[in-house]
Amino acid sequence: MLDDVTTDKPVLTLKDLSIEFPTPAGVVQAVKALSLDIHKGRRVGFIGESGSGKTTTALAVMQMLAEPGRVSGGTIDLGGTNILALSEEEMRSARLSRVAYIPQGAMNSLNPVMRVEPQMWDGIIAHEGHLERGELKRRSDAALQSVGLPLHTAGLYPHELSGGMKQRVCIAMGIILNPELIIADEPTSALDVVTQRQVMQTLKAIQTQIGSGLMLIGHDMGLMAQTVDELAVLKDGALVEHGTVQQILEAPAHPYTKDLISSVPLVGGESFLNPDARADAPKRASSEPLLRFENVRKDYGSVTALHPMSFTLQGDTPQIISIVGQSGSGKSTMGSIMLGFNPPSQGRVLFEGRDVAGMNAAQSLDFRKNVQAVFQDPYACFNPFYRVNHALKFPYKQFGLATSEAATQRAMEAACEAVGLDPDLVLPRYPHQLSGGQRQRLIVARALMLSPKLLIADEPVSMVDASLRASILSNIYDLKDKYGISILYITHDLATAYHVSDFVMVLFKGHVVEAGPPKEVIGAPRHPYTKLLIDSIPWPDLDRSWGDGRTDWDPTKLEAEAARAEAIYRGTVPGFDLIEEAPHG
Amino acid sequence: MGRIPRDYLINRLVTLVLTVLIAATIIWIIPRLSPVDPAEIALGRMAAGAGSVANSEEILAQLRANMGIDQPLIVQYLKYISGALVFDFGLSTAAFPTPVSTLILNALPWTMGLMILSLLITFFIGNLLGALMVWERSPKLVKVAIPAAMVFTSIPPILSGLLLMWIFAAKLQWFPLTGAYSIFVEPGWTWDFVRSVLHHGFLPALSIVVVTFGFWALGMRGLMITVQGEDYVKLAEAKGLRPRYILYRYMIRNAILPQITAFALKIGLLIAGQVLVERIFAYNGMGKLLYDAILNQDFPVIQGVSYVIILITALSVFLVDLLYPFIDPRIRHEAQT
Repeated sequence: MLDDVTTDKPVLTLKDLSIEFPTPAGVVQAVKALSLDIHKGRRVGFIGESGSGKTTTALAVMQMLAEPGRVSGGTIDLGGTNILALSEEEMRSARLSRVAYIPQGAMNSLNPVMRVEPQMWDGIIAHEGHLERGELKRRSDAALQSVGLPLHTAGLYPHELSGGMKQRVCIAMGIILNPELIIADEPTSALDVVTQRQVMQTLKAIQTQIGSGLMLIGHDMGLMAQTVDELAVLKDGALVEHGTVQQILEAPAHPYTKDLISSVPLVGGESFLNPDARADAPKRASSEPLLRFENVRKDYGSVTALHPMSFTLQGDTPQIISIVGQSGSGKSTMGSIMLGFNPPSQGRVLFEGRDVAGMNAAQSLDFRKNVQAVFQDPYACFNPFYRVNHALKFPYKQFGLATSEAATQRAMEAACEAVGLDPDLVLPRYPHQLSGGQRQRLIVARALMLSPKLLIADEPVSMVDASLRASILSNIYDLKDKYGISILYITHDLATAYHVSDFVMVLFKGHVVEAGPPKEVIGAPRHPYTKLLIDSIPWPDLDRSWGDGRTDWDPTKLEAEAARAEAIYRGTVPGFDLIEEAPHG
Repeated sequence: MGRIPRDYLINRLVTLVLTVLIAATIIWIIPRLSPVDPAEIALGRMAAGAGSVANSEEILAQLRANMGIDQPLIVQYLKYISGALVFDFGLSTAAFPTPVSTLILNALPWTMGLMILSLLITFFIGNLLGALMVWERSPKLVKVAIPAAMVFTSIPPILSGLLLMWIFAAKLQWFPLTGAYSIFVEPGWTWDFVRSVLHHGFLPALSIVVVTFGFWALGMRGLMITVQGEDYVKLAEAKGLRPRYILYRYMIRNAILPQITAFALKIGLLIAGQVLVERIFAYNGMGKLLYDAILNQDFPVIQGVSYVIILITALSVFLVDLLYPFIDPRIRHEAQT
């Protein structure tokens, strides 16, 4: 199957590996007869949806399967050692020294009460005994340097590090004993694109340097295309396709692989939205502007999260306004200010001419009905004790929209159908019985039932599987098209913002740096910061190498350059007036 | 370790003073809501002693003046608060005219000794047991300790005290029945005296430990289960660290943090819980003092004892707050922003 197999002995051989989870409802086959080799120095990507068995396979190699999971068949061979035959103590000493694991949730992967340095040292000590302090220091410093972290990082606590720094500390820990195999489980899924590119390049460089095999687990086809040599596509625990990344991208054999590739929204690519829904959105009669920011500014202590910003969103022409930027750019702060959860430090937010901060109880109720929100985490947005129909019914009644039980039921069913869910299937269930994608659609349905005028969607699809993102976004898009709801779409994903929005604002350190229609701002960026963001997107296309393929790519320098550049305004859309920020200096 | 930020210190100090002030006010108000007149009780006690009392109205007035309860409420309150600042709570009405502060000063060391000893033992045993209940490598026997811990927690300390007393003092005669030290030794810093104090303190301390370790064990168990699921514990395992090291440095070290706050809060509750234990063991501590004062409607003593309990609790919470940034580096960070 592979035409350029290296002659080296593989560092990892999986042969007919099967893993099962006995549950009261029956045995679940998590991995089915998986066979695969990872050779020295090769990078192999495991791609698939959540539940496809990719993380389970990795945990089996580490012999860290969660109870009651067990290997029910096949062998795992790590550089000549049969892992399944090792004793607990032998396996412990193989971890880190022979196979290192780089975890998914970098945010919480470091012991919060220990500084970075002792957390690197304890790994060495557990395998080589108590070395001299100077030797430990030399090795931890070398590891930190190799991942591009300054040496003073060693003395910091985890909470003093950014997400990208934490993930690089995890990489430094992983390579400190020069393992034969590195397993990286979605190492960048919690990071924004710029940091993601930086961390992946670090990982690639260091893996090449120590010559180990890399097993990269992920669901982002673009990231895989830019990182790995071989791809293994998993679906429902079975390996459906395996080959070089070139073979798979250019000539995918399995229909599921084709789906995975085509479901990635691309900047400039084909729209994933319903093509027959491109008619103009229904207009609304409105005298007052829907939402107005008057010189809104937000400070947290001495840090300014949002610099004075003014814009007006008219009520008569529904529009989708995207706010894009990295974490810390102030985009979520904007969202919470609009929702009235977070009062501005200066300036006013007006909804239909009324100050959000100074509403009486009746006005506030009206505001809540008309301004709905969809948040990032679909798991945290439902009360787990109530069935879905209660969760949908409750706000509907609370806002006085229910005329009769039957009317409420009809409204719920209509809302579910509008977001592509079968009401008979989802309404009688509890939230934990539904998938993340279903829950996120229900949040949209719940918002829709109240027929709001404005929807604030803060990273609505960043936690659902890639294959579902497009369809949930088209549900949200339909809200504007069919129901005339204006939407503020807050995201770090430029490709979806490109397709969904009518107007894009790029936020950088609390300033708007570039704004205008998406075809111009994202399709042909001019501001250095927007360019940096676009360059950081991993393309599922081998001919389009990450950014411009430079190895001296340094986001810190590029960001400094971006901070000096003036904001660029590139045209307007009807119904939205962004007041230009005065040039600084 | 870094310095404690000044704003944080000021904030905590203000909280401390306000807590004590508000609590002191409440314990002053509560007895005054009662319709009982302490002067009449004192008179009744005199009458009971002497058979009858002539010109009782004059004596009552005199008693009220002595107790200071003939003055307007606001004057009484201000006197009380200003007195409390220098631990002057007036004179006991039951043991008239002994100053309340003398009574408290005599009782305090006994209670503090018993309390600190039993609290430390119960904190250590309870948390270790709770941690081991969760740890995968613990002997199976530890997991059986969950129902046992629950059973012990639900026993009132007075019952455990009586039971221990019956077994170890009455039947086996290993420990003395009552008292804080033997009447045959002179109080002082001599070996005989210390040994006698430890010997006498063992059963009361044990009766407290038996009923309180379950609280710590069950609390710790819950915290450990949460910590066990944290990514940093998973990564520690993936790093091939030794299981015992992961248990201490990654799991217990993080799970213990909320327990330390609970420890400070428990100090005050424990004195209250000790009331009956001290009573049945005839142990001359704060608990017994409070118990007797309540029986005798001795308001100044009740106020004084309650005030000292509140002060000790508030001070221990304050100390834990100050120490917290050193045991949890994230707190210092928050204090600075």
